[in-house]
Amino acid sequence: MAYLHLLRSVRGARDADVVRFGEAGWHIRGEASFGGIVPAPAARVVALGFERGSRRKRVTVAGAIPRRLSDALGAVPSVTFAPVDAEMVRGGPAARRRYLDVTLATTSRRYLTALQAYRGGLLQRNTALRSLARGAGEAAAAAWEPLLAESGAVLWAERAAWVVRWGPELARISAAIGERGVVEMRHAMRYSAASDGVCDEAASPAELAGVLAAALEAGRAGDVRHGATRVGPHRDDLILTLGGRDMRTYGSAGQQRTAAIALRILEAGTLRLGTGAAPVLLFDDPFAELDEGRARAILDVLGGGGDTVGQVILAVPRAADIPLGLTRLERCAIADGVVRGEDGDS
Amino acid sequence: MSAIDELSAEFAKLPGIGRKTALRLTYYLLKRPPEQGRRLAAALVTVADRVRTCEQCYNLTEDPVCSICRDGRREPSLICAVEEAADIGAIERAGEFRGVYHVLGGRLSPLDGVGPDDLTVSQLVARVAAGAVREVILATNPSLEGEATALYVQRQLAGYPLTVSRIARGIPVGGDLEYADGVTIAQALSARREMR
Repeated sequence: MAYLHLLRSVRGARDADVVRFGEAGWHIRGEASFGGIVPAPAARVVALGFERGSRRKRVTVAGAIPRRLSDALGAVPSVTFAPVDAEMVRGGPAARRRYLDVTLATTSRRYLTALQAYRGGLLQRNTALRSLARGAGEAAAAAWEPLLAESGAVLWAERAAWVVRWGPELARISAAIGERGVVEMRHAMRYSAASDGVCDEAASPAELAGVLAAALEAGRAGDVRHGATRVGPHRDDLILTLGGRDMRTYGSAGQQRTAAIALRILEAGTLRLGTGAAPVLLFDDPFAELDEGRARAILDVLGGGGDTVGQVILAVPRAADIPLGLTRLERCAIADGVVRGEDGDS
Repeated sequence: MSAIDELSAEFAKLPGIGRKTALRLTYYLLKRPPEQGRRLAAALVTVADRVRTCEQCYNLTEDPVCSICRDGRREPSLICAVEEAADIGAIERAGEFRGVYHVLGGRLSPLDGVGPDDLTVSQLVARVAAGAVREVILATNPSLEGEATALYVQRQLAGYPLTVSRIARGIPVGGDLEYADGVTIAQALSARREMR
């Protein structure tokens, strides 16, 4: 189900690695219907296939092949929470940048276009920096800076606006789950090789592009020595704090897991607002490391999500992990890859 | 190496031609009257000997200055910068542009080993610095490398009193919005213009 949203493995596996042993490829077909206030496609059939021989991936939406694969991104919107997501809070900034990129690229075409341009430009500038060390002119790297500044400014502006828009919601959800301290988030912009800064939310993209262009120019000589670009949105962080303290260092395992779940609920809210359809929530073993009170509070938040949260699918290793009092959810069991209802129907 | 292998190896160096197609072309020529092969060889020699780049705009020509640059009816103060000489043909077929050209000789791509020094950007700046240019239209392809090249050229021309413009991107004429891709529609919307 997550594949039909991101068109790739949510765990980061390559398409070829997902093919069953001995088979030529794989094929997924999903039919989704959306409720919602904003006009949304009433029903949509999305099919995605991969052929091992040609290494080709093809997607069809309502029977038509989109011009670009990225046009089908978010065709069946869903949000996945996996146990490794706690790493998003406790680990390095790369996982949090990926979270921001996925959340914003699936809801903003402008962000997606800027992200593709920025990544391509970064690869070219880094290649130029390394050839520079072998004696090529500095202009080869400088030539890529206007494009990086323009696309990077869009990433900075949209990330900053997202943090401002959803910050209070993160605090509200965290409190509802039972967090006693105030949970806050901050977008740390890397515009100097030595330190981070906070994006001025009033800054226009043109001003941000100016800041980034100046930072790239100032850092160029050092970048040549390192063989890599050290400033820009690819070095940003999303800093999460609990009661003013960095959750990465001071949060308990349960608090970090709760924050990761709250971030996934924010992702669902962003998708709901951006696509007009309430995404399916796929939660894999969310209650490990959590006491029963918190587990119940999370279920209440999911159940009381109103329009933001669509269908919720929880996967738990033991039936007892879901409090018995919660009877709203239909229960199924999976054994040997076959889903069976409680009454034994497959 | 036999003569057959030598010819097919040369064919295989051409873009879009693999080893099999190269062999097929070689055997095709061998089946034709020898005269056809000689005509092809003569045409290749003529092209290699006579065609060079224009001293002003770097278009391909058999003369020191190309026919477009020599044409007195064209507007020399309006320069359209393109990646390759082949792009001139595309614009000329449209029959709308009455200015002159500047062939950049490629586009920036360190991954392919192309940096600013490999392009004719400094020659374009020199043309502008010589005066009498009122506008440079950047008509590089709307790809990542084409955009980076356009932005780079724009920065190089920033200090001169002239207009630097970029060709528009958007929905093709006769196209259907329903079938246009999202990126194109987004760019067409952001580059919309007021109807007068």
